[in-house]
Amino acid sequence: MKDFQYARATSVTEAVRLARRPGAAFVAGGTELLNLMKDSVQAPDLVVDVNPVPLAEITQHADMVRIGALARMTDVARHPLVRDGFPLVSQALMASASGQVRNMASIGGNLMQRTRCWYFRDAAMPCNTRSPGSGCPAVNGENRWHAVFGGSDSCIKVHPSDLAVALTALDARVLIDGRPPVPIRDFYVLPGATPQVETVLRHGEMITGVEIPRAAGTSRYVKVRDRASFEFALVSVAVLLHTRHGVVQDVRLAFGGVAPKPWRSVDAEDVLRGRRLTDRLLDEAAEVAVRGASARRHNGFKIELLKRTVRAALDGAR
Amino acid sequence: MIIGKPLDRVDGPAKVTGAAKYAADQHIPGLTHAVLVTSAIARGKIIRIDTGQAARSPGVLSVITHHNGPRFAYQPPKHPWIYGQTHVPLQNDVIYHSGQIVAVVIADTLERARYAATLIQIDYAVETPEISVEANLDKAFIPERGPFNLRYEYRRGDAHGALATAPVRVSGRYRTSMQHHNPMEPTATTAVWDGDHLTLYETTQALAFTRQKTAEMLGVDQKQVRVVSPYLGGGFGAKGYVWPHTFITAAIARSLGRPVKLVLTRAQSYTMHGHRAETVQELSVGATRDGTITAFVHSAVSQTSMLNEVSWEEMDATTQLYACPNAELTRRVVRLNLGTPTPMRAPLSVGGYALESIMDELSHATGVNPLELRLRNYSTHNPENPSQPWGTGKFLRDCYELGAKLFDWPHRLPRPRSTRRDGGWIGVGMATAFHPTYVSAATVSIRMDADGKALVRSATQDIGTGTYTIVTQTVADALGVPAKSVRFELGDTNFAPSAPSIGSRTAASVGTAAHHAGSALKDKVIAIAVADHRSPLYGIPAAQVTAADGQLFHRLDPRRRETYADVLRRHGPVDSEAVWPAAPGISRSYGAVFAEVTVDDATGEVRVTRLVGAFDIGRVLNAKTARSQAIGGMIWGLGTALTEHTIVDEHLGRILTANLSGYLVPVEADVPDVDIAFVDKADPAASDIGAKGVGELASNGATAAIANAVCHATGRRVRDLPITPDKLL
Amino acid sequence: MVDEGISRRRVLAGTAAAGVAAGMTVNASATASASTGVELTVNGEKHVLDVEPRVTLLDALREQIGLTGTKKGCDRGECGACTVLVDGRRIKSCLTLAVMREGAEITTIEGVRHPLQEAFIRHDAFQCGFCTPGQIMSAIGLLAEGEPGSDAQVREQMSGNLCRCGAYPNIVRAIREVSG
Repeated sequence: MKDFQYARATSVTEAVRLARRPGAAFVAGGTELLNLMKDSVQAPDLVVDVNPVPLAEITQHADMVRIGALARMTDVARHPLVRDGFPLVSQALMASASGQVRNMASIGGNLMQRTRCWYFRDAAMPCNTRSPGSGCPAVNGENRWHAVFGGSDSCIKVHPSDLAVALTALDARVLIDGRPPVPIRDFYVLPGATPQVETVLRHGEMITGVEIPRAAGTSRYVKVRDRASFEFALVSVAVLLHTRHGVVQDVRLAFGGVAPKPWRSVDAEDVLRGRRLTDRLLDEAAEVAVRGASARRHNGFKIELLKRTVRAALDGAR
Repeated sequence: MIIGKPLDRVDGPAKVTGAAKYAADQHIPGLTHAVLVTSAIARGKIIRIDTGQAARSPGVLSVITHHNGPRFAYQPPKHPWIYGQTHVPLQNDVIYHSGQIVAVVIADTLERARYAATLIQIDYAVETPEISVEANLDKAFIPERGPFNLRYEYRRGDAHGALATAPVRVSGRYRTSMQHHNPMEPTATTAVWDGDHLTLYETTQALAFTRQKTAEMLGVDQKQVRVVSPYLGGGFGAKGYVWPHTFITAAIARSLGRPVKLVLTRAQSYTMHGHRAETVQELSVGATRDGTITAFVHSAVSQTSMLNEVSWEEMDATTQLYACPNAELTRRVVRLNLGTPTPMRAPLSVGGYALESIMDELSHATGVNPLELRLRNYSTHNPENPSQPWGTGKFLRDCYELGAKLFDWPHRLPRPRSTRRDGGWIGVGMATAFHPTYVSAATVSIRMDADGKALVRSATQDIGTGTYTIVTQTVADALGVPAKSVRFELGDTNFAPSAPSIGSRTAASVGTAAHHAGSALKDKVIAIAVADHRSPLYGIPAAQVTAADGQLFHRLDPRRRETYADVLRRHGPVDSEAVWPAAPGISRSYGAVFAEVTVDDATGEVRVTRLVGAFDIGRVLNAKTARSQAIGGMIWGLGTALTEHTIVDEHLGRILTANLSGYLVPVEADVPDVDIAFVDKADPAASDIGAKGVGELASNGATAAIANAVCHATGRRVRDLPITPDKLL
Repeated sequence: MVDEGISRRRVLAGTAAAGVAAGMTVNASATASASTGVELTVNGEKHVLDVEPRVTLLDALREQIGLTGTKKGCDRGECGACTVLVDGRRIKSCLTLAVMREGAEITTIEGVRHPLQEAFIRHDAFQCGFCTPGQIMSAIGLLAEGEPGSDAQVREQMSGNLCRCGAYPNIVRAIREVSG
């Protein structure tokens, strides 16, 4: 790890002023940045510690709950406003990482997690996200973990956050200092030819929180993984389902582990909306959910797995 | 008797308070830190290596490459023997595998060394590496047996002929993964020179190997090298042999004139000290319609490195476990641009998985209950030498009975894919566990002081297996004193030379030497007492005196007694030493493992819900630590079955899972409560104290039992480990 | 690239340093320290350390203060061997900088006397003992987070602490005994 300057900020204004310098990076929980620095994936010259900034509150507003960017995963998952109002968020958070990491990692940092792609994390290998133009070995390499939606020939990484998937299903908004709220669906950017650009956040900009609009319905977060806990998703599905007399009034479906960003399936939602929730409809929605997916050599199973998981999640939520 | 009792670990207090000092925990004044730079490519040559920026980086004391690397007094042989590998890095520009040591940076702090290591620039001439076993099967060959006398070929009878005429034939092609040991403690070496004497604080399962081979490489006498390792944070084979980082660190410390500490990063541990080789196995069994086996034909191919030809995955269970007149076993290797493989906990589990899977397949083909099938083919004599009865060393039948009862194994197994609970398919499976038991020469010395306390010493290791505790118990029993009167010190080559902790041999080897040393000391003290007119035991024939609870007494008149301390206060300290064995023997240990799994109907996720093991490990020396060993072994098998898989990029030859988030060892949530039973009958053929190894045995059945349970749950036979959800969709 | 047979490739193992003055803290606000000294409170004792900002809490504890009970198993937050309590909460000390923990109450295995330690011995909840300090600190943190209601909850909540010897079932028993 390169030596760097360290600064503590006590306000957003101060944090942003410091972070505008070239080579600056924010640190909150440290659970992601420190690993990337140790692995020479990131090498900031200035680390701006934002922990003293008072942004850890969780507050209720007329039609939404606002979570401060520095609230810790554990605290958010256990907060009554979240646990009772947005169990999907609690479930997704508690399915993430480990108890210790959840005590450290902030909500803002969670959204800014970078891909677990093993080519990205090994600085001795090519990677277009880490070193633009160096190539993507995943496309013709070991891509069991990689994207079946939204990838390009430059990059087929998947986004690792469980929380972001839940927030995508809930139509949450990301609060960025000095900007109007950004719908989370627009916050993440697909790789295309520039995989190094992963979000709309510009250098020096700071996430101050997220807003989750109230939504009716039952919810379920289903995460499929290679071991029982402390593991990223092969595939995950967040579903929010509002039915009346067996008829779908509203539904949201978002997927993790399948795309460079949390993947929202509006088509599958449209198939479900206004219809009676029969077994046959679940099958149909699951089929539509994977429409457009494309497999590489080792990740074809994700398409079938996603289909089954969508169906199981809907079934569990009804 | 203290032996056998579930005594708490005597090293427990040190381990739960953080007081136990492991190899990287030593405080050494003037310590410097070494960080390794490893090759980015898997095959080719270094054509330029620029260390200028690194050398100028703050705090850097030295940068070592092949240009200025240490030169050694010895070259490890073609078969590496107890050197882990033949290749000595830093001697030339050739790259044989990714992650090979190409430079070392030494600095005053860890952070500075680590950063300077990133500043070294290397140009490579890259060649296309060979990475895939499957793609190189046509190049597979049978290696030389080497000094370990590893067996690559075996045949008896006419296996192919018997198979061709067998009424029932089942064949399978099984694949097992490349795996890494991943002890929680990273490998570490701290080298401290005092004049021409070296002290190494080393993570080692074999103090004696480290001392001997480090001295050989450095061209010094063994007496000049002291190796210290009082606590070892697990090894599982990765710390069994002597690998280059150890003698390289020692050589650098010598030339630098400063103590040097090297702790491998987790990523480096994937290329520095071996791995379990990937295998592709073809196994066929022939049987009569009632399940009586007539033939096994087993052929396996595993990976080896460019410079070494070795396969540690012995498959002797196929030819030694079940009664069967015709058997053929062939093991071949292919050379790849990967590091040299090394034994990993329970090498026999790799072939054992295939054998116990095909037994399950035979059970399905014949309709004979898997347990009954194994009983039907039970061997009372060594199938490789039918005139040799297994005798009293084999209590496998008891294991089947104990385990089946504990598990409630069904006499009538439900059809595969017929039992459901909570959205999942339920299945049960079983397998036999089989492992050879080894012993090595061990020396144990004891000094008893005037206070009647015994200080026991041996240059052996406690790698988590309970050596500290079982030797304490054994000596206490032999002396007839309470366990608290015995203190056992190990992990230092200044003590009497002893057995390596590999191949589940420590308990039988060191335990027996401890028993003899204790008995010898007791006899000496008795002899002193009966010859001393001041003793109440004066004049009694020595054979009629014995000891219990710290007291020596007349068997026929127990009122005539005095304590050890009474005798030694008059006489002074007494020493004894015992070496065992005179001639290493071999026996076998057995077990039966039963598993229940749930497989998620939708996602294919497998969860083990019950795990039962019953083992014949000879005499149980400590019911608590033996149980833990057995549980740990079975969890090891669980990881092999369900989660563990080292993945290598086949174009670049780099290990992609070189961490603990990509390489998945089981976590707490993967593991159910585990039930264990022991037969607990002494095996005099294995050791004088009747004990046999347990750590690896318990791993051997679990993998297949779980895989068989998955097949029973889902109706699908996955012959490719690990069984991840994608394989069950 | 590789398919062409032999080719030349240059590998720079790390990103080159930019030419900025490193190794110091910036006096960014009233609360930020201007000195390179980092003051840590560990097990109730204050330590002033002369460490660079890049030094992790784990390395500061082990290499500077000499508290080697806290173990480094992976240095990536993937094993839990380095678990300590910071202000009573369990965290992984390899994933935080020492300088970020100024003013906090840090507790390591050397600073605790807890019934869990006896329970770990009684239930043989360790073998090699290397993960044990982290397991115990994690379990203490877990109990402080609220009583686990079942074995399954303990298993899930303790999954951030790997044990390669396979002491998992015994760890659950030890924790359940103490949690009641």
